[in-house]
Amino acid sequence: MLGFLSARTAGLDDPLRLRRAESTRRLLSLELNHGRDVDRIHGNGVNCLDIEAVEGRYMLSGGADGVIVIYDLENYSGKQQYTCKAVGTVGRSSRFAHKFSVETVQWYPFDTGMFISSSFDKTMKVWDTETLKPADRFIFDGNVYCHHMSPIARKHSLVAVGTKNPKLQLCDLKSGSRIHVLQGHRAEILSVRWSPRYEHILATASVDSTVRLWDVRRASGSLFTLDQHNGDKTKAAAEAVNTAHNGRVNGLCFSGDGLYLVTTGTDDRMRLWNSSTGENTLVNYGKVSNESRKGLKFAVSGGCSPDCVFVPCGSSVAAYGLHSGELVATLRGHYNNVDCCDFHPDYQELYTGGKDCNILAWIPALRGPDVEDDTHVRKDAAAAAASAAGPAAANSAFEDAWSSEED
Amino acid sequence: MDLAQRDKLSELVEELTTSGQQQLNQEKMKEIKKICKLSNDYVDHVYHSVMAQLDKEHAEIRLSAFQIASELFSRSHQFRTRLVDNFQEFLELTVETDSDQPLPPPKEVAKKLKISAIKTVQSWQATYGSAYKKLALGYHFLKHVKKVDFNDVEARTVAERTQVEERQRRMERIYRDRVETAAQEMEESYQEIETTVTEMKSCLELLLPDEFGLSDQLSFGDVALGSLEPAHRHRLEDELPCTSQSLTAEGALWKEMEENRGSNERREEEYEKKCLDPRMEKKPSPETVVMEGTAIKTNQDCEGKEADGDEEETEMDDVPDEDVFIRNSGLISHSYNLNISVESDLQVKETEDNEAVVSTLIDLHRLITTKHLPAVESWVQVFTKIGPEQQQLLRRALDLKNTLAFLLKKEKLLHIDYKTRIRKVTRVAAEGEEDDEDEDDFEEVPEKEGFEPHIPDHLREEYGLEPLPSTAAAPTNQRSPPKRLAPLVSPTPSSSFAARRMKRRLEEERDPTCAAATLHLLKGQMRPCTGPSTSVSSEPPGAPPSTAEGSQTASSTSSVGDKAPDAPIVPFGLDLYYWGQKQPNAGKIIKSTSQHRFWVPNEVDEETENQEVLAESRNRYISFPGKFTPVSHHCNASLGNGKLCPRQDRVKCPFHGVIIPRDAQGQPSRAEDRVREELEEMRRRKMHPEWQDVELMQDIEAATGEDLGSQRLLGKGKGRGKGKGKSKQKYPNLSDLKKSADTSRSRLEKKVFNKSSMRRVTAVMNKIDGRKHEKFSNQFNYALN
Repeated sequence: MLGFLSARTAGLDDPLRLRRAESTRRLLSLELNHGRDVDRIHGNGVNCLDIEAVEGRYMLSGGADGVIVIYDLENYSGKQQYTCKAVGTVGRSSRFAHKFSVETVQWYPFDTGMFISSSFDKTMKVWDTETLKPADRFIFDGNVYCHHMSPIARKHSLVAVGTKNPKLQLCDLKSGSRIHVLQGHRAEILSVRWSPRYEHILATASVDSTVRLWDVRRASGSLFTLDQHNGDKTKAAAEAVNTAHNGRVNGLCFSGDGLYLVTTGTDDRMRLWNSSTGENTLVNYGKVSNESRKGLKFAVSGGCSPDCVFVPCGSSVAAYGLHSGELVATLRGHYNNVDCCDFHPDYQELYTGGKDCNILAWIPALRGPDVEDDTHVRKDAAAAAASAAGPAAANSAFEDAWSSEED
Repeated sequence: MDLAQRDKLSELVEELTTSGQQQLNQEKMKEIKKICKLSNDYVDHVYHSVMAQLDKEHAEIRLSAFQIASELFSRSHQFRTRLVDNFQEFLELTVETDSDQPLPPPKEVAKKLKISAIKTVQSWQATYGSAYKKLALGYHFLKHVKKVDFNDVEARTVAERTQVEERQRRMERIYRDRVETAAQEMEESYQEIETTVTEMKSCLELLLPDEFGLSDQLSFGDVALGSLEPAHRHRLEDELPCTSQSLTAEGALWKEMEENRGSNERREEEYEKKCLDPRMEKKPSPETVVMEGTAIKTNQDCEGKEADGDEEETEMDDVPDEDVFIRNSGLISHSYNLNISVESDLQVKETEDNEAVVSTLIDLHRLITTKHLPAVESWVQVFTKIGPEQQQLLRRALDLKNTLAFLLKKEKLLHIDYKTRIRKVTRVAAEGEEDDEDEDDFEEVPEKEGFEPHIPDHLREEYGLEPLPSTAAAPTNQRSPPKRLAPLVSPTPSSSFAARRMKRRLEEERDPTCAAATLHLLKGQMRPCTGPSTSVSSEPPGAPPSTAEGSQTASSTSSVGDKAPDAPIVPFGLDLYYWGQKQPNAGKIIKSTSQHRFWVPNEVDEETENQEVLAESRNRYISFPGKFTPVSHHCNASLGNGKLCPRQDRVKCPFHGVIIPRDAQGQPSRAEDRVREELEEMRRRKMHPEWQDVELMQDIEAATGEDLGSQRLLGKGKGRGKGKGKSKQKYPNLSDLKKSADTSRSRLEKKVFNKSSMRRVTAVMNKIDGRKHEKFSNQFNYALN
């Protein structure tokens, strides 16, 4: 760290280098922190999280009971201890609230004044953040599993919506109408993502175990489907369609630069694809337990040198090296299935929401002071923890209490 | 870290967790703590072994492991960190947060584990919650997601609570339904029961009118009901003042009786009759006296009245009457005390007069005991379950029940003599309703037509004949010894009673319209017909075969009488058949030399005489297997409990071998036998030392898990028959999970799902299928089904 800093001051290094090194270190030291809490608003499972990209300050969460909450993540109190306050809530009492489980929430990528939510009550609502009232409402034939808006699109403001219907809907926010339908899938679409690199490129994952990439300018059909066997004709010949997984494909995520695409399926596999060619990179992540019948929201870190992908895995969140495929860390804190996670790219913080109603913040641990003397390890650690948790609690709670009678 | 210490730690943890105790052994726990205090590495090690034990599928292991964990949790920071890091799993294993992983059996221990775990988590949260975030999260999870109510002692989650409520509601609904149906049923059959009760009452009244103060004894039961409906109560109240009535009635009866007594010689008979009369005098029983205050007085009054009655009566009688009375009765004085000991219970005898009433009573009794009383009892049960809102129904049902029970009691008090009329009742019942009675009640009687010359001995009484003096002379065989007919005059006409009877009969015989005359005539006819066949008896027919007759006759009679039953009855052969004649075809064999129908060679003798066959036909074989003599000796071997073997085998006792003479102690009386027995005993001892009680050994083995060799002692046949034998139990202190509960379900399962019955069922099913196939295989529309 000091080396990086001095090199940076001397101007020897690219500024990106220091940044990358530090963010990677932080990424690898994520832990459940006592200092950061998130208000418990949800009385039911948390289905989705989204942190806005403009300031990185507000986070949206959608609950299984139809509640949508906006949190303020920024800690201006100057203290270590901080609880993320809910700044806005669309509760059950609100007459605009979704009737059923909110499946996806997303900020409008360029402004926090608007966000979009979709739900199992077959609607997608466009909300005004200030008034917390829907500005527009799209009604569909079936449950809405997912929607996504391109984070970079300047030329269009299309929302891709995956519903129970195998046809992908494209809704235009400008006109407030459903303008387009993309046909190709044979079963409901569980996940949809716009490419962060090309504004017209779109990837969809479906129950029919295929993943298709689309160019919205081309109406005739998908660009290609991902093939887990990489076009190995001996196997593919028998099958009419290329499949990405052997089960449902329920998770989809582009890497930060949009060059790669990560998919998860109910065959307990995670695959990394080259998003431009559709080639399976054959990274072996091992078994990624996945029993979700709905879409799975997972996140890929950005701006770190070995990027990580955070995948909910039962009641824990597993962090895999994106290209190496090795398990970097397992974050255990939830007491029930984890449904979603979102990565804060600026602070390298991870927020996870699960069925136990909790939203947990995983904060990089502070680097402890380097230790020379081995005998003081425990005391120092205790002291560090004490400084983190407050002196009173630390003194009583972190000390061993061997009674003297045992001597 | 010392390896020995480490191993010791693991050992201690395992010992503690497999002890099966509800509480930890404090010494061992202290030792663990002592070791853990040395270094955090030991704590880690303990943590791992505790978690491993927590994962075991046995609630007792888990409970102990949990107790260790909770002990260490409050001591060591390291342990806390470790445990909290893995708090999800810990909760899953102790609080059952994952419904897919229920706590293992045994159930009670699992419940205890859960409750204590929840309590402990709460206390941990209170102490360490602020410091360990995951602990707080876990607590929150339990509280808000699993909705565990930490104040609820039962430690039930919401789901369980709702389940219990649901079950309660369902049970309530069921009860309500039942009450409704029962109420309806009661409404429907109330009338019927009422009529039955009334009928029963009137029957009882008819049998035993109230004048004997019976009702006051019995009606107190009625009064005890207290809560009968108004009409019923009214009736009871009508009955109540009967104490005084009955008293006067009693007095009247006494008078009447005394008059009878004074009238004539019939008095005695009358008196006798009175005693046997169904209308028995009734003194209030002691229990009544206790129950009812007035009853004591009644009793005394009764005595007084009795005396009064006597005096009055004697005074009232005229002198000539008095003389007659004295003469006829043979009593010395008029002033006597009559002590009548009357049993406290009644005895009603059934006669022709009250036959109908009694049979109705029996029917009613059966109706009440089989139908009404069970029904009423079930209603009472149903009504008591539902609670206070059905008080009225309950009261009504209880009233009914009491009434019925009271009636039954009353009826029982009468002690009606049913036995004499069982046949009649069944006949009546059978005529009335065929479905009610079994056919068993009818005896199979051989059909008879007209006159029967031979009357079986046991039936002679029925026919009005005197019993035969000798049963040996039963008319079984015409040829066999002389049948002595019943003497007309009884050989020992000692009693005057018998004399009177004889006289009466003789008178009757003279009357041609009487059945006795006909019988007499028949007897006269029978005598000559049996007379000639009796070769031995030379007595004049009808005379009693008394010893006072000629000695020769007596001896011959007795000799025949002695021999007759001894002599075997042998089926006679051909030789007897042709006794004294030449047997026509004896020993001749007919030969047909030619098989042809027409062509017969003429010089062939068709009949050949065979001497052997001839001799055979003259011979006769009488097989006489000897006499069965019952075994009179006992085995008499000592049984060890001070008794002797009571078996009576002829040669060999299955338990003690060949039967040999023994003394009173069961020891063989012959020396060589004694030696042999001792040798055998020695050999047995060597194989089976006496201290090795097989059953006790099995118990010990089950308890300690060590093999003491009970299998070997049990013998090869039994021990090996069970298969490989159970493997040594690893932790004998823990309760055995595999031991299947002896439920009705398991017993049924054992029966239903055992191999042979399954095979049998399959065979039958296959057969049915096969038959169907055979029948319908050629018909396409059946082929598809």
